[in-house]
Amino acid sequence: MQHGSREVRGGMAASALHDDHGPQQIQNPGLHDDFFDQMLSGLPSAWPDLGNPKSPWDASAAQKLFRIDLAGKPPDESQPEAATEGLRYASYDEATMLASRLSQSQGSGGSSPTGEAMMLQLNNHHILPAVGLSRTAVGGGVGESGLLPLPLTLGSCGAADPRIIVETPRDEMDPPFESPDHNGGEELYNGLGGSIRAAQPGTGQHFHHPQLNRQQGASMSSQNYGGAAAPAGVGQGPAASASSGGGTPPQKQKVRARRGQATDPHSIAERLRRERIAERMKALQELVPNGNKTDKASMLDEIIDYVKFLQLQVKVLSMSRLGGAAAVAPLVADVSTEGPGGRAGANGAAAGGNNDSLRATEHRVAKMMEEDMGSAMQYLQGKGLCLMPISLASAISSAACRPSAGGLVPAPPAPPTSAAAAAAESPAASSSASALTVQSAAADATAPKR
Amino acid sequence: MDSKSSACSSPNPNPTLGPSKLMLAFRFLRALSLVRRTTPASSRTCRGRRIERAAYASMAYTAGASRAWSRAVLRRLHHRARRRAVAPRRLSTTAGNRAEALRRLVPGGGGMDYCTLLEETADYIKCLSMQVELMQGIVDSASSYGP
Repeated sequence: MQHGSREVRGGMAASALHDDHGPQQIQNPGLHDDFFDQMLSGLPSAWPDLGNPKSPWDASAAQKLFRIDLAGKPPDESQPEAATEGLRYASYDEATMLASRLSQSQGSGGSSPTGEAMMLQLNNHHILPAVGLSRTAVGGGVGESGLLPLPLTLGSCGAADPRIIVETPRDEMDPPFESPDHNGGEELYNGLGGSIRAAQPGTGQHFHHPQLNRQQGASMSSQNYGGAAAPAGVGQGPAASASSGGGTPPQKQKVRARRGQATDPHSIAERLRRERIAERMKALQELVPNGNKTDKASMLDEIIDYVKFLQLQVKVLSMSRLGGAAAVAPLVADVSTEGPGGRAGANGAAAGGNNDSLRATEHRVAKMMEEDMGSAMQYLQGKGLCLMPISLASAISSAACRPSAGGLVPAPPAPPTSAAAAAAESPAASSSASALTVQSAAADATAPKR
Repeated sequence: MDSKSSACSSPNPNPTLGPSKLMLAFRFLRALSLVRRTTPASSRTCRGRRIERAAYASMAYTAGASRAWSRAVLRRLHHRARRRAVAPRRLSTTAGNRAEALRRLVPGGGGMDYCTLLEETADYIKCLSMQVELMQGIVDSASSYGP
């Protein structure tokens, strides 16, 4: 049916022109022509009134739906050749089913707008990454595999997507499209809507086969996932009214409410926004330690605290980078101010006379740290001193004043060296960061922020 | 203090994979050596602040211009190079203004909607933690003095 494929192409172009509000067009018009030719080459009179003005819409809708079906196949992108081959053969049948369904629905009206709307909805909501994929995967064979992720996200996104798809297409479809008659659209929509609803419990199978009822009885109808769809397709009137909360006339393009959900575009946009925010919060939860808070407010608090902590770490580390020089200066000043208090609290072994020599040593060490960290450490160790975090030093000095720690922690110099330890980097660098944090945070409180 | 901005502004080689640690290390170490060379040893706090600015600059350059926060950081750095801007005040978070507090923390957070703010925060946290990891690694390797 060469003329059929040509019509399809024309239809695609026309629909592409009209798709101004659905920016993510799944496929370029001229891309899959060869593929589609192959598909439609053996079609029986599946595309009847293609000369009909309505038919471009049908064709394009079918094409798009067809694309959905293709995408419903399990993503076998590792072997694009084989996959597309298999897809071609399978989708051939589906194309025939689609065509027959459309022809059936065409008797009752154009079904294309809803198909278009469906595609547009698929495009617009939640499928952006997949769409990006499909758009880049151009070419006859590869294009299909590029589309594979599309409906998978549809089902995996959960309840949101189907609702959106079910609800909004009418509204969005109304302005740009001249939809003459939508009875068939309802029916097709019903079928697909049923498939979507039925897809929710399932996973990737939802668009595997369109729920098309062939007039002749399709071989694939048994595979039709539409046990729900087939009756839905058949009983379009009752299905339409049943799914909507109230009776909506089949002709009118109306958003079908789903289980009491609001149909307003505002609340839908609001829901979308909330979902996006929830997504981002989940991503943040993984980044932030202790991110297992279920409460949104406490999660935000955690995030804020973590950012503050990281910024403080950068500040502290940048100060300690200079060999401790920058950190030492304010800390030495601190030590001199709180020296008496510290020593008063120290153990009694600290002789008063040692204080001055200790202070001199400290200053000397500080100066050495500026030039060369290694020599400063060696000097300290030569003196029988060591660097340690303040917390550890205070714990040791408060616990016991026995100089029994292997010469490593002599009690008298403990208080001043702990202050010096806070200034420099100790072997336990991470704990030094904490000591530094304590000290430099206090020291830096008055310093202007960056 | 424009020495940090000389840390090159070449585009991020792999924008889709996110910031790379290697690029960050390269930029930061280069900026660090520049700072050490140019700053007199007497001005210690000044050097500390310069290093901190170098850290943020290398972070922002590595993240690329595709992120709002990195653009804001670079903007702030370049403006500060010309004039001393006021320090941003950091108020504590209360029940009402958590979002505001987050906006204050994340550079460029004032002019974006909440959704984008969360996204930028995630990226900012990623880059910050990379930077902290890098700096901590440098400190650790520098402080491994022999016995």
